[in-house]
Amino acid sequence: MPLGSSSPVRPAAEAGRADGATTGQPVGEPSSATSSRRARDGRRAERLAPYVLVAPAVLIIVVLRLWPLVVGVNFSFTGDGERNGTTVGLDNYADLFDDPLFRTALRNVGLLVLLLPIAVAIPGLIATFIYLRVPGHRVFRSVYFFPAVLSPVIVGAIFNLLLAYDGPLNTVLGGAGLGPVDWLGDPDVAIFAVVGVHIWATFGMALVVFLAGFATLDSALLDAARVDGASLPQTLWHVIIPGLSRTIQFVFVTTMIGMLTSMFGLLYIMTSGGPEGSTYLPEYYIWFQQGQMNRPALASAASTALFLIMLVVGLLQISVLRRAGRES
Amino acid sequence: MKQRALWSAVLVAGLALAGCGSASESDPPSGGSSGKLVVWDWKSGDASAASYIEKAKADFAKKHSGVTVEFVAQPFEQYYTLLGAAIQAGKGPDVMLFNGGGQIRDRVDALLPLDEYVGDDKQRLAGWEAFTKDSKTYAAPVTLQGHPIYYNKALYKKAGLDPERPAATWDEFVANCAAITKATRAKCFAQGNKEGIGIQFFLSGFGSGILSPQEYDDWIAGKRNWSSPAVKRVFALWKEVNDKGMNNDGANSTAMFNDAFAVFQSSKASHVTGLMSDIGHWKDFAEFLEADNVGVMKSPVVTAGATPSLPFDGGIGYAVAKWTKDPKVAADLVRSLTSTDALKSFYADAGAIAADSTIDVSSAGPAVATIVSEIDGGKPALHVALSSKTIDLMGRLSQQLLSGSVTVDKAVQQLAASDQAG
Amino acid sequence: MSRLRLSRWFVAVPMAVLALATIYPLLFTANVAMKTRREYILDRFSLTSTLHWENLSTAWNSVGMARYFLNSVIVVTCAVALLLLIGSMAGFALSQLRFRGSSALFLVCLAALFIPFQVIMVPLARIMADTGLIDTYPGLILAYVAQFLPFTVFLMTSYYRAVPAEIIDAARIDGNTVYGVYRRIMLPIGTPALLSVGILNALFCWNDVLISLLMMPSADHRTLMVGVTSLRGQYSDDIPTFAAGVLIAAVPVLVTYLFLQRQIADGVTAGATKG
Repeated sequence: MPLGSSSPVRPAAEAGRADGATTGQPVGEPSSATSSRRARDGRRAERLAPYVLVAPAVLIIVVLRLWPLVVGVNFSFTGDGERNGTTVGLDNYADLFDDPLFRTALRNVGLLVLLLPIAVAIPGLIATFIYLRVPGHRVFRSVYFFPAVLSPVIVGAIFNLLLAYDGPLNTVLGGAGLGPVDWLGDPDVAIFAVVGVHIWATFGMALVVFLAGFATLDSALLDAARVDGASLPQTLWHVIIPGLSRTIQFVFVTTMIGMLTSMFGLLYIMTSGGPEGSTYLPEYYIWFQQGQMNRPALASAASTALFLIMLVVGLLQISVLRRAGRES
Repeated sequence: MKQRALWSAVLVAGLALAGCGSASESDPPSGGSSGKLVVWDWKSGDASAASYIEKAKADFAKKHSGVTVEFVAQPFEQYYTLLGAAIQAGKGPDVMLFNGGGQIRDRVDALLPLDEYVGDDKQRLAGWEAFTKDSKTYAAPVTLQGHPIYYNKALYKKAGLDPERPAATWDEFVANCAAITKATRAKCFAQGNKEGIGIQFFLSGFGSGILSPQEYDDWIAGKRNWSSPAVKRVFALWKEVNDKGMNNDGANSTAMFNDAFAVFQSSKASHVTGLMSDIGHWKDFAEFLEADNVGVMKSPVVTAGATPSLPFDGGIGYAVAKWTKDPKVAADLVRSLTSTDALKSFYADAGAIAADSTIDVSSAGPAVATIVSEIDGGKPALHVALSSKTIDLMGRLSQQLLSGSVTVDKAVQQLAASDQAG
Repeated sequence: MSRLRLSRWFVAVPMAVLALATIYPLLFTANVAMKTRREYILDRFSLTSTLHWENLSTAWNSVGMARYFLNSVIVVTCAVALLLLIGSMAGFALSQLRFRGSSALFLVCLAALFIPFQVIMVPLARIMADTGLIDTYPGLILAYVAQFLPFTVFLMTSYYRAVPAEIIDAARIDGNTVYGVYRRIMLPIGTPALLSVGILNALFCWNDVLISLLMMPSADHRTLMVGVTSLRGQYSDDIPTFAAGVLIAAVPVLVTYLFLQRQIADGVTAGATKG
């Protein structure tokens, strides 16, 4: 919670400095003029302190992310191929929305946003159980991170084998009496299969963040809940979720970003955007237009569109979750 | 004290960064300062291409001993993205590898026409058309790539068929496959259409048996009638083969590279439309089936009057960037990369059919000999003549054809529209 | 430690199943790495009968991995150190200190989080080239810092927001400057978050391929993952060597994580001494 005063420096600090107890100032100031000048310098340093702390981050972000964004967006208003270098206004954006592939990609983004709660709940629940010291929690804590370490290419290659039409998963299903499913070849199923693999591969990262978030949880509340005889779902709802609300917010936003900006490897290996283009996501579309179709300005327009989508959805998520957090 | 510990940590971080900075080496390379040429490709990292690169470098050193050549191997999936970024920035490598067809034709604005430098090689090497646009040549071919139809002679023998006489007509072919499946349970085709590439191979592999010679030549020349009966037959056959169970299960979710080839290599299918160079070819198959069991056949005749031939084009070739400082030197490097000695190594180690027609391949087995003997009568592959956009659309439509969500008529309509626009 | 009366074994069983499902791919990769190319093509799943350790040495030697390994270690260590330092400073300021423009600056950092790399790819490369930083370690380090700083700042800010103001006030009353509070309070309290975000950033940087390729184009400056990815050519079917390369790349991160996750968990229990 930010300090309430308007200036970051409180008068008490100066009183503290005059005592010289913890700041190592020499005992016995030479003259009152010097000490008050030093106090004034000290005050200014204190006032500037937040800006100094924040400056490196802001500098790097503005110069190396925001400025390139402006240049990149500007590039999306130019043409490709023969119209290379000329300004074409919103033509690229019109092309985007005309393209059924991009529209499919947008639909899939909507699907991912709907699946987000699952992707967040799984590591959240697991983190809770680990925190509550379920038997084997130390092993689980270590092992759940392993998939996150593997490159998406190898993960994709492995699941290509596991989910093949004549692969082990279908064999198991056949043994259980259910028919085989063409996990990666059926346009209605493929996107779910790929997202499932992605969640499997990355939940370990969210787990790590949740575990850190538990550090700020007030254990006294948990004790009180136990004393009151609360069941697990009740404790979750009334103590843990409110206590971790900021962490949950964070995981929602970063999981969404992760889904929309790092599934390329899996898509490339497992489905190549198919079958029938049904697993296209904006990230894949961008790669495709940039490299395969040699339309970098269109790719730039698609990345700008992706930025806007993530920005809007992300900010919406934060405000919704913040309000929900406040209510409970 | 914690305070001191923290400040020392910050100091260490700062020193580390400074140290990290000074640890970096020579000046950043721009697109070839004099005395150095930078080559981008995705092959120079392969162990099997090592001696090819060495021979090419040695040949180049004879002409320009003072110039160093640096090969930078990129991961293939990011290759064209990186190349695109370099082209946008206006600086990058001097020499770069390209696939023939759409990929190079889309980017000729950034490339130097090589006609004045490679005239002497035009006779010796084959496959120039894939690297040509508007009668200008933009790359010299290194390998030839084509789509022979391979078959498993051992399976033929098991089914009581004559392995030296594959089917000449489509009906014969279907009957042969049925006999093999009955005797050995192997499917007819190893097919992988996950990447949408299966249709490309099918179109090119069987095209010469379905289209009339005139229609074939017209197609290559750019006059394509997508609603002609022959073209529709191609796509109808594509679907029919799958519906009849002649493909392995789940063709839409099997990757051509390399799962479909693995199906053929483990004798689970008796035929496959493969490649001539790099992979999925005679060398690969010989490793698993024994060189004598790998057969090559021309497409069976589907439409009466068709004259089947081997479809092939320039496979990969090296091009020169427009921004290179010394075009003559860069072009000489390209010529060294396509010199006979270097190509001979490439053929021997990587099993590529080199673009050099003077190389003797008689010792590598009957399949290769058959393929090379058909080069003279061969024609460009049908799919290489299409634009990247149309090829991509065709891939997706082919998946829809197999799953039944689009009809042949609708599919060729969409393809015609894309071809027109492209 | 507080415990809930939950049927702990009931939960432990599905978690154990999940644990198996997460270990399996790693074991599978290791199994594949021990096969020859031919064995793999003929049978993907079977347990390999002979261990072909030479795949590891092939992968290591074929593309000069030792050099790439070193490059990765240098770059990732520096990048993560900078990220933690800058991110924690900014996180502290944005979460606990009231100053003009703090919410605007936080929004700026947040918005930067949503920028996909592709849209800034070429402009960033050009900035680096124009400042002479292309193909240098500082250039790549800066690129990584820029890429993951929004994430780090966001996490540290969220985390620090949950620190009660009373602790900060108490430290100020004791006479600490703002910097003193940062050093003495925020860094120790932030240890679990710093460790978590540190290991995650290390993972992201270590596994990155595209940024590295763009910023360090020349052959001997490459990072490890780029080297491993080049083991797979356009059509390469030498999956076992590739799997061996993947294992080599995965081991350092795994070891670091296993070492650190104890600290994270201990930090969790240590951090629960407030309130």
